[in-house]
Amino acid sequence: MASITDCVVEGLKYPFNDIKKLLCFGVLFALISVISTFIGFKSMDIFRAAVHINEMTNGTLSQIPFSQLPAGDIYIVAGLTIVGFIISLLIMGYQYDFVKFSIDKKDGLPGFGDIPAKFVSGVKYFIVAMAYNLIPILVLVMGMALVSESTILPLILIISTLLFIIAYFFLIMALNNMIAHDSLKKAFDFSEIIGNISNLGWGKYIGIILFTLIVMMIISVAISFILSFITILFAATVNNQAFVISIVIAIIEGLFIDSYMSVFFNRVCGSIYRESIK
Amino acid sequence: MILDIYKDALEYSAKDWKTLVILGVICFFSFLFLPLFLITGYNYRVINTAVHGIINGRDPLPEFDDLIGMFVDGVKVVIVQIGYLLVPFIVFLIFAFISASITGVASSALMIIGCLITFVLVIVACLMNQMGLCHMANHDGAFTKAFAVTEIKEVIDEVGWFNCIATYVGLIIITLVISLVVTAIIYGIFTLFGLSGAILGADLSGIFLLGALINSAIAMFIVGPYLSIFNARSIGLLYTMQL
Repeated sequence: MASITDCVVEGLKYPFNDIKKLLCFGVLFALISVISTFIGFKSMDIFRAAVHINEMTNGTLSQIPFSQLPAGDIYIVAGLTIVGFIISLLIMGYQYDFVKFSIDKKDGLPGFGDIPAKFVSGVKYFIVAMAYNLIPILVLVMGMALVSESTILPLILIISTLLFIIAYFFLIMALNNMIAHDSLKKAFDFSEIIGNISNLGWGKYIGIILFTLIVMMIISVAISFILSFITILFAATVNNQAFVISIVIAIIEGLFIDSYMSVFFNRVCGSIYRESIK
Repeated sequence: MILDIYKDALEYSAKDWKTLVILGVICFFSFLFLPLFLITGYNYRVINTAVHGIINGRDPLPEFDDLIGMFVDGVKVVIVQIGYLLVPFIVFLIFAFISASITGVASSALMIIGCLITFVLVIVACLMNQMGLCHMANHDGAFTKAFAVTEIKEVIDEVGWFNCIATYVGLIIITLVISLVVTAIIYGIFTLFGLSGAILGADLSGIFLLGALINSAIAMFIVGPYLSIFNARSIGLLYTMQL
């Protein structure tokens, strides 16, 4: 049985096996970050218009009729959100493949052919993720809507956070189980999921995931330091071009860092499953 | 026995000056945050070599290959250290909260007792933490072994608490003496330069600036890495004394 460290080290090295494919995968992330930057800018415009109307009419935000908001901006935001969602489905499809390659212990990175199949697996991935997060989201929303007392509200927040964490830990093994058997049903086969986890040992299971998350956190903090240096450099040379700078930084981050992190994390998830069925 | 450890560690760290310079360069880039973990990872490798070696054996210095593995080892080391230091920190916080809620003489008395207990706990935590790292290295880097407190306590019992504490005190003294002596020598040389410069009528500030620069460069590139390898090696060898 390989130790925790071996899994993580293997996962960290794996993306370097085929840098071209990693960068192709990174293009998707770069698109997502550019789109979310645009959405941010446009929603800023909508918000500013709403505030302007509020100041004119002395009303509250909920009283503004929809027709008074800038329609073009809203259409752009809605369109971009849909495009972003489709791209993230594609990303989930690739993540599905990464976990599959990891379970099969293949050294290469998955290729880019057969986009429709990727969409199908992406939809599966999304459904399972949503299903596992449903209970905590329900608790959170119902709690926010029903409870008006301020003393119970923090308690509900804590409970839903705990539920989110528990759901997250189960979700990883559920996704692995689904991908290994290639059937959506297996994602909700709780006895098998719990059996797998206890086969590996709960302590080791939680330990691997926590350790992986800590490593990811450290890397992203370090990278954000470096990126902020780059931002300062850009800002010093290119005057008054905040939009350009943020787009460039978003592309760099999506192309290299987000893709690397995602491949790394999914590789480790796959190797957790591989260890657990031994 | 302890003197043998020091002798071996002092010789061991001076084996290869290239390693020292490479470590120094990594240390120079540690403002980028990732290299910090490379340094701790390298120290872990030194401990690993020492734990599996013998005193006055001809162990080579660890290589600088497999940087990713080194980084992950470094992260492990930092997690273990934080885990151990969390205990005295939490105890201190508990005392601080209790003494903040009561007033008068009892409050300050409680705070003093709390500080003393925290101080003792910090010393114990440092001891256990170093031994925990060695224990982890001895068991192929298994995380659970770093926090197997009873096993580590048995190890320390076998080595002897007095030996351990004496070694640590000695380490601190040697570290301080070496760094002080090096700084004193450099400043001595530059004071001589400065004096001769002043006699010749040159500007003194440039010479002092150069002295400070060279001092920090030597501290970073030679003395700092040397002392860190020295400490790691000594602690690793101390662990092997249990047999």
